[in-house]
Amino acid sequence: MDVLEAIRSRRSTRSFEPRGLEPEIINAIETAITSSPSGSNAQESHFVIVQDPAQIRRIKRFAPGLSGDPAAVVVLCSNRRDALERGGADTAEVLRFVNMGIAAAYVLLTTFSFGLGNCPVRSFHRGAIKEIVGLPGDIEPELLITMGYPAEPPRLKTSMPMTEVISHDHFGHR
Amino acid sequence: MTTSDTGNDRNQCSTREDEREKLRDFVAYTLTSARGLYREPLSYGPMRMVDALEKALALIASCGLSDPTMDATLGIIRENRWRAGTDPVGFAKALDDATVQLVRITVADEENS
Ligand SMILES: Cc1cc2nc3c(=O)[nH]c(=O)nc-3n(C[C@H](O)[C@H](O)[C@H](O)COP(=O)(O)O)c2cc1C
Repeated sequence: MDVLEAIRSRRSTRSFEPRGLEPEIINAIETAITSSPSGSNAQESHFVIVQDPAQIRRIKRFAPGLSGDPAAVVVLCSNRRDALERGGADTAEVLRFVNMGIAAAYVLLTTFSFGLGNCPVRSFHRGAIKEIVGLPGDIEPELLITMGYPAEPPRLKTSMPMTEVISHDHFGHR
Repeated sequence: MTTSDTGNDRNQCSTREDEREKLRDFVAYTLTSARGLYREPLSYGPMRMVDALEKALALIASCGLSDPTMDATLGIIRENRWRAGTDPVGFAKALDDATVQLVRITVADEENS
C-alpha cells in the first residue's frame, strides 16, 4: 500500500475480530521498529510485543483507554538511562519521546498496510503495565498500540482545518 | 467497540471462576480510571463513568438481573460515547436524552404501582 494512501485512510480501530496475527506481520512490526529513525541514532526505546491472550487480558484490566479485544498489543517503552548515555541531555529530556512517536507512526502505518486496524492508547496505569510485562527500573511504558483485524468500519475523522495547523514560510501565512 | 468491551455481553457467567474474573476486570477498570482522571482530559470523566456504569450493569446481568428498558436508555449513550472527546456538547446532549428517558421510566413505574 502506498504510504500516503495508508496515512489518508488509517483510522483508529477499537473493535477487533477474534483472529491472531500471521508471523510475517510480527516480522514487519519488528522491521518497522528497527528501521525507525532516532536522534543521534540512539535507538533507546524498547518495545514489548504482546500476543499471549492472558497477558492481553491483564493489560486490558489496567488500561481504561484500551477498547476491544486486540490480537496483539505493542508496549512502547522509554529508557531514560540509555537515552542519556547514547544521546545526551536533550535526548533524555525530549527526543526520546519524539523518537518514540516516530516509531509509533511506523508501527501504525505498517500494521495498517497489512489490513490490520490499530489504536494508540495512553490511558493506562503505568505502574501496573510495568509490573505486568516485567519492565526493569529505568524502562517505563509510555504508549500502547493495539492491533488486530478490524470488526467494524472506522468512524469518520474529525480534523482541524489545514489553515489552522499549517503555515507557509511564516507563521500564520496560508 | 466489542460486546466484551462495552459490557453489552449479557451472557450468564458460566462458572464461579468466570464471575470472579469479570469482577476483577470491573474493579481494575474502575480503579485505574479513577487514578487516570487526575491527568487526563476533563471530557474523559463522563465517558469513564458511563463505561463503568455499563460494565456494572453487565456484571449484574451476568449474575441474573437485567432490565431491557434500562438497556434501551443506555443505547443512546452507547451510540454517542465516542463524541465525549471530540464533541462534548453532543455527548452531554446524549446524557441528557438518556436521563429524560430514565425520568419517564421512573414516572411510569410510579403511576403503575
Ligand atoms: C498519543 C496518543 C494517545 C492516545 N490514547 C488513546 C486512548 O487511550 N484511548 C483511545 O481510545 N484512543 C487513544 N488515542 C487515539 C486518538 O483518539 C485518535 O488517534 C484520534 O482521535 C484521531 O483519530 P484517528 O486515529 O482515527 O485518526 C490516542 C492517540 C494518540 C496519538
